[in-house]
Amino acid sequence: MELAPSVLDLNWQEVKMKIIRFIKDYFERTRAKGIIVSLSGGIDSSTVAALSALAIGKGKVFGLMLPEKETYNAKDVKHAELIAKKFGLKKERIDITPTLEAFYNSIPIFDPADNLCKGNIKARTRMVYVYYYANRLNMLVCGSSDKSETMMGYFTKWGDVAADISPIMDLYKTQVRKLAYHIGIPKEIVEKPSSPALWPGQFAETELGIKYEQLDLVLYGLEHFMKAEEIAGQLGIGKGLVEKVKRRWLATEHKRRMLLTTKIEYRTVGADFRLPRNTP
Amino acid sequence: MKEKFKIALAQISCKCGDKTANIKKIQKLISKAKEQAADLVIFPELSLTGYVVRDQIYELAETIPGPSTKIIEGITRKTNMHVIFGMPELSEKTQAIVYNSAALVGPNGFIGKYRKMYLPTHSVFEEKRYFRPGYQTAVFDTKLGKIGLIICYDIFFPEVSRLARLAGAQLIVCISASPTVRKAFFEALTTARAIENTAFLAYVNLVGIEDGLQFWGGSRLIGPNGKILAQAKYDEEDFVTCDVDYTDIRPVETFVPTLKDLRPELFDKLKEAAENL
Repeated sequence: MELAPSVLDLNWQEVKMKIIRFIKDYFERTRAKGIIVSLSGGIDSSTVAALSALAIGKGKVFGLMLPEKETYNAKDVKHAELIAKKFGLKKERIDITPTLEAFYNSIPIFDPADNLCKGNIKARTRMVYVYYYANRLNMLVCGSSDKSETMMGYFTKWGDVAADISPIMDLYKTQVRKLAYHIGIPKEIVEKPSSPALWPGQFAETELGIKYEQLDLVLYGLEHFMKAEEIAGQLGIGKGLVEKVKRRWLATEHKRRMLLTTKIEYRTVGADFRLPRNTP
Repeated sequence: MKEKFKIALAQISCKCGDKTANIKKIQKLISKAKEQAADLVIFPELSLTGYVVRDQIYELAETIPGPSTKIIEGITRKTNMHVIFGMPELSEKTQAIVYNSAALVGPNGFIGKYRKMYLPTHSVFEEKRYFRPGYQTAVFDTKLGKIGLIICYDIFFPEVSRLARLAGAQLIVCISASPTVRKAFFEALTTARAIENTAFLAYVNLVGIEDGLQFWGGSRLIGPNGKILAQAKYDEEDFVTCDVDYTDIRPVETFVPTLKDLRPELFDKLKEAAENL
């Protein structure tokens, strides 16, 4: 198999329709009143919010913007507003800084210099807000995780990844960009560098140590059972870099699965209780 | 026996685990087929229960004949129709052996069943976890000619439809629950199986979304020369009818004589090679 960028090309109209059907079908089965998306102004949440609106109709999708002081970026807020307007979303903006500060001040072992632990509080706090709104308004939470960050474990466990459905989780970041263009997400949103915005100056590609164009092909190779040497050889990159990506992918499986226990009884939750969702 | 008749491809979505709702839908479409002067109506694989029912399969499976086939028999007797549909079949001899089966029911009641031989257990499929494979091909002599049954992944193995054809099948019916990522494979294979066997092939696929898995529909009737005679829509429920005329088989059998040219000794070699993979 040749690892050319074209392997990531899909029929974007078909992909769009597939995702729209998926969202609509799940939404209708659950009898929820709407869909809520944590709207950051980034490409993933913009794409998911737009697809949700296309699936279930304008006015039924709620974009919750949850900025905070430390990583506040006027451009991101402007982009989130732009998406809300363009796709007819209901919206609300809440500054979560006071809540975060309450956490920081009440945790005896809190270390402000530990960006990761502090950043995860932000992601999990946003999850609490989003799920409160979902509960209160009887809405579904639509997640925005893409396949690149999901495979790399590049998300906060029980934080930004928490959702009822994740419609773009089987699309790599570079594929999400193409889909985003296809459904009319503005260029300025599609092309800005990705950032989880957990601390100032945090950028996904810098942190992951690889450009998405390259990472997605490495992950695609791993998905297709290719060996590290083969991937490295084809992409003209070091085998060490491919192995690093592979190690990170395998090491973060615990973040992608739920409810690990040890088997004691006859049938076990998460192991051999194998039930379909949405049983009537 | 009718040489010429009309068949209906009933491309439905199912309510997973709800046999009552699915039978109701099946009944409605049998009536619709009757109204449109069809003699045979075909429903997808596991259309009685839905495809992704996982551990519920043990509660849902029934013997064939059994309660659900009896209900369908009641309908076919009343409507004078033939019906093929898929369901999980519980063995009469044990409590936990289940087959992925197709049942054929006609105007005089139950005609026969086929148990899927090739059970996909890779990617999103987990059929071997739940089902025991069948060991027999199934061809039934009916008022609508000889009908052979195969199920979904069986079509990847040409020997299943070939055996049905060698047993005389004029119409091979493949009921299916194929997810969207496999569309190109099935479109090629359904045509290939019709051409190589010089027989009619009716393919009826599921639609809808079950546990995130989307089924693509695209049911079709293919003539013995590979021509697509009827084609249902992609990704949504559809109901199409089309004429089958068995007199079309003979000219193709003469023009592309694949059965005449069969080389039995190659099957021995195939067996040897397959045993030593």
